Amino acid sequence: MIELINNILQFLVALLATIGAGVLFYKSRKQIYLLLTWFYGAYALGALYWTLHFILFQYTPQIFYVSEIAWIASSMFLLTIEHTLPSSEERKFRHWGVWLVPVFCVPQLILYLYIGDILFNLLISGVTMAIAWYSVRGLMYARQQQGKAKDMQFFHLAVIVYIVLLYLLWTSSCFWISDTYTNPYFWIDFMLTASLFIILPAAKKAVST
Amino acid sequence: MTYMENVFVCIVGPLLLTTLYMGRKYYSTFAFCVTGMGVCLLSAYINTFFAKLYGADLISATTQISPVIEEVMKLLPIIFYLLVFEPKPEKITRAVLIVAAAFATFENICYLIENGASQISFILIRGFGTGAMHIVCGAIASYGLVYVWKHSWLKIAGTFGLLGAAINFHAIYNLLIAHGGISQYIAYSLPIFSLLVGTIIYRLYKPKYL
Repeated sequence: MIELINNILQFLVALLATIGAGVLFYKSRKQIYLLLTWFYGAYALGALYWTLHFILFQYTPQIFYVSEIAWIASSMFLLTIEHTLPSSEERKFRHWGVWLVPVFCVPQLILYLYIGDILFNLLISGVTMAIAWYSVRGLMYARQQQGKAKDMQFFHLAVIVYIVLLYLLWTSSCFWISDTYTNPYFWIDFMLTASLFIILPAAKKAVST
Repeated sequence: MTYMENVFVCIVGPLLLTTLYMGRKYYSTFAFCVTGMGVCLLSAYINTFFAKLYGADLISATTQISPVIEEVMKLLPIIFYLLVFEPKPEKITRAVLIVAAAFATFENICYLIENGASQISFILIRGFGTGAMHIVCGAIASYGLVYVWKHSWLKIAGTFGLLGAAINFHAIYNLLIAHGGISQYIAYSLPIFSLLVGTIIYRLYKPKYL
């Protein structure tokens, strides 16, 4: 039951965020909102298929990549935001903190490759690591800025929280306890849903500079 | 058992002969038509291969494997066309829609050979349900690609995103059909409803965003 609530909630939040980002794009015509609309839209579509499969057949898809492709696409839109948003000065910026990303992600990736599917895990982990790399660099850079330019840190921070929770979620799924609320997987997933939504207001604050 | 390759030769033969007499202007149209049918044939082989590889039952193959394979196969010739010929936007739309329509037509022909064509109500559902679903997926890809390929920063993520959207739409359609009951009636109406909504949105916002 908790899995169903979790899936439906995640789909609804992603759908709501898609509409919100779409409205912001309609009003401002800013590139970041278009990419966010697609980021949320792809995520929502993957969640819809996953949820429908669970509702109709009482189990989640096990054989092939349908939702996974939507989620990789969603991550690629987030990567595009992180890649196109920085100024040329920020692109040249170097900070040792970015090396925390492989330190955090690579051991977990090895676990996923050992337990799960090689192709999907390599793809999704590669894309999310690149997002995390850019967002940590962006965060460090924004914190050194003055005035409104510093607001960019909220967006990067929101993205980092989302990526960290994503990795925690995948790792917790490797040690499945039960289908009840005692399983930390579901609580991490609830937090992930919240962090997913928070990216939108954080982006709004960042681009209002 | 349906001998799809024989059906393919039978349908493509007259098309190829006609192409010779239609002139250069129509070469691309016929080429996309034959390509659409060809990728449908190849998709059937690859679907079977993956279904065997994963030991998938009919429902899993229909709801998880075939949407991915079919949408990837439909997109591959278009990506080749975009990369090699760098066509104008209106040509992209035409190419994707012809490939999608030819794919749906060939799939319907094979389906009718296997299941018979005696029930008109069932054929109408097949034609305007599954056929329209392929057109919707084609429309998602075509209108999306026209926008996405105009922006260099969006090409890779955008193309992958459109592929994801088409795959998920196709998979949700197949999922609802496979479940049966009231779900399948929702599925049958989904493509037509989506086409209507898409057309309205396109007419309202085309001047601004495309």
